[in-house]
Amino acid sequence: MNFATIGQNIVKLTAKYWDKFLLTGMGYTLSLAAITVAVGAILGALIAFMRMSKIAPLRWIASIYTEIIRSGILAVDIGQTEAARSLGMSHRLTMTQIILPQAIKNILPALGNEFIMIIKDTSLASTFFIGDLMTQVLVVKGATYLTIEPLIMVAVIYFALTFVLTKLLGVFERRLRRGDVR
Amino acid sequence: MATSDNKLIQVKDLKKYYNGESIKALDGVSVDINKGDVMVVIGPSGSGKSTFLRSLNLLEEPTSGTIIFEGTDITQKKGPDGKKLNIDLHRQKMGMVFQHFNLFPHKTILQNMTLAPVKVKGMSQEDADKKALELLGRVGLADRANAYPIQLSGGQKQRVAIVRALAMEPDVMLFDEPTSALDPEMVGEVLDVMKKLAQEGMTMVVVTHEMGFAREVGSRILFMADGKLLEEGSPDAIFNHPQNPRLQDFLSKVL
Repeated sequence: MNFATIGQNIVKLTAKYWDKFLLTGMGYTLSLAAITVAVGAILGALIAFMRMSKIAPLRWIASIYTEIIRSGILAVDIGQTEAARSLGMSHRLTMTQIILPQAIKNILPALGNEFIMIIKDTSLASTFFIGDLMTQVLVVKGATYLTIEPLIMVAVIYFALTFVLTKLLGVFERRLRRGDVR
Repeated sequence: MATSDNKLIQVKDLKKYYNGESIKALDGVSVDINKGDVMVVIGPSGSGKSTFLRSLNLLEEPTSGTIIFEGTDITQKKGPDGKKLNIDLHRQKMGMVFQHFNLFPHKTILQNMTLAPVKVKGMSQEDADKKALELLGRVGLADRANAYPIQLSGGQKQRVAIVRALAMEPDVMLFDEPTSALDPEMVGEVLDVMKKLAQEGMTMVVVTHEMGFAREVGSRILFMADGKLLEEGSPDAIFNHPQNPRLQDFLSKVL
């Protein structure tokens, strides 16, 4: 394999197919990841509540999201619940006014990490030709008979995406923590 | 249910066991708390005094025994009307102050104090704000109304916790070691607020290690050890003429 040729091919492919990778592919990849995390989080929140409730039947259903949300809620100091209940606040009022607003701080960073993981996992969706980054590799490969070049190109994009998002999440997490231990 | 006018809380044979019967945090405590009492509960750590206090508003669910608060047995699942007993209604009448303050960190001091009056009692935000500011003024913290708890010292936090409970206009105030988590120089400011409250006639149950406060402010002293109420009496009787050997031993260590 000739690295000079690969380099030249990548330049040519970039000129011709940049929109497929950067617009279509990245768009689908990010949307897929976002939908997965959002649906998982909403389902997870419901199940997390069920698991903490006294009703048995649905407790066996578990996923990474229920654990993220459940542990986020449980990480809020029990004293907060006791203070709220001692003021006569109901369980529901305590949850919505006191516990959940504080639990969000524990939950969001973990969900962000999950989002970054899912970005990489969405490459599996190319099996169904869904339109994500890996699908674009298949498209370009089909049109040009080049394999390694489009792969290198999406590898760079995957890396850039996860690297930038990890850094952003770090900043976000530090901002959330700033208000802690009041 | 008919009760004598003066009795606010009647505790009968209260037991709290953990692990079956292997740990007896409370082992048959009976006591009447009357209106206007400043009842100070003392005793060594692990004596069950905090468990006793936390049982009064059912933060701890007793294993057996009864707690009759303002004529209602709140340990029953059903109220006198046959409907499910709503403990929240009774808790509104029992203010509680915790060792670790437990202020809500995401809310301002004013919001900490008005949340329950507005959401639970249905007071208007305007009235609740007015009342909260007046209460804050009484503990010298009116200028901190819009601060967040993190911006306050420990002593200030505990004073806020006290007026947050008072904002619900409770009939009794429960204090669970309110000065134990404070730096020594801040203990005084909190005890002063409690003393003032006692002088105004508030019924109080105080679990504390502050023997000076117990002696000076307490109207009745309870001595607990091993989950039992071993001696009860006036401050003079307890501190100057202790009868129970456990109490004599305890006092020799703490005084």
